[in-house]
Amino acid sequence: MSNPDMSNPGATRLARMVLALYPPSWRARYGDEVHALLQESGGRRDVASLAWRALPAWIWPPAHLHDRPARMRASLSTGLLAWSLLTGLGLVFAQLTQFQGFHPAGHPIINVSYLVFDAALALSIAAAGLGGLPLWLLMLRRACREHRRRDVAYLLLPIGAPAAFVAGLSVTVRLVGGADGVSPWWFLIITLVGFAAASAAAAGPGLAMRRLQPRGPALRLAATAGGVAAAASVVAAAAIIVAVTGLCLWARGFAGYHHATIPGVYLALVVAAAAVTAVSAARGTRAALPEPEHG
Amino acid sequence: MGDTLDRWADPPLLVLASLAGEPKHGYAITQDVAKTMGVRLSAGTLYAVIARLEARGFIEPLESEDRRRPYRITAAGARELARQSERMSQVASLATERLRANLGWASA
Repeated sequence: MSNPDMSNPGATRLARMVLALYPPSWRARYGDEVHALLQESGGRRDVASLAWRALPAWIWPPAHLHDRPARMRASLSTGLLAWSLLTGLGLVFAQLTQFQGFHPAGHPIINVSYLVFDAALALSIAAAGLGGLPLWLLMLRRACREHRRRDVAYLLLPIGAPAAFVAGLSVTVRLVGGADGVSPWWFLIITLVGFAAASAAAAGPGLAMRRLQPRGPALRLAATAGGVAAAASVVAAAAIIVAVTGLCLWARGFAGYHHATIPGVYLALVVAAAAVTAVSAARGTRAALPEPEHG
Repeated sequence: MGDTLDRWADPPLLVLASLAGEPKHGYAITQDVAKTMGVRLSAGTLYAVIARLEARGFIEPLESEDRRRPYRITAAGARELARQSERMSQVASLATERLRANLGWASA
């Protein structure tokens, strides 16, 4: 009964690669069965259909595969990392445009996208901060009470990493900055260090969550706020896309926008970060909502 | 399937109908659905449906000795299948009646 299409090692590897597109919990539950099915009857059409169905499996994971708190924690950890990357990309955009006072005359679309970006980014940061604060305090209190020094360190990273970055930045700017600010190479180095600091700040609570396994209303609030923050940051990302495209079209001489490669790479990063943020937040928010009744 | 509407057949109902006969694993379900209902379920569609039906409590997995895990329909799944079958019977009766009355399809 073995299907010649899927019996050779290359096809088996292809089946494994397609299954790797699915969430770990889905793979753990159905991976062996699907692999057996592909070996018995699978062809290219089956592999293609599995690949096509992988995205819905991430966005709407089957409710019976995870307990909800675990899903909320996983979504918060991933979402926080992607959100910090997206926020960092937004701040780079702000640094390269608005902070330099650039407002191209005669192009209201760019100015409107600046306003949308500012409002969306502010809402996103406020939602993430306010919604995550109770959970962060809860975990910090527990980590202190139980003398879990490593968890305390992880939880303090969102304060310590940005503070260290800002302190290092002010020293660096004083040492290497001129009347027009820092050179492009120093700007690139500072940006990369900034992203490293943001990643550390975002990874800390995720690591603490994995070890402390919090649950309850504070976790639900954080997951819901994560959804609001993600929605706002996706709007901010859309505003960035409009503004950068506008700058490429109408302000080609400004800040490197005459080179298609740099904005192209930047926009690809924005889209990727927005997609991961949105999917993670959607999963977390879905897990935080009350379970629907099934008849 | 060509220009027919078979591709819009509701896969969850096909799987429930297949399991109403006896417990089956994934491959047996695709074979049964293809043979008795003329619809070829791809692996992606089949396991998306199995996951959804299992999450809703309409089917449940049985112990398996190898990697091919069989599933059986639950009481809730049987109730849902009966409800949907009743609805489809009503649609079929209505369609047959109107085809005969308005389009002269005596053999419909």
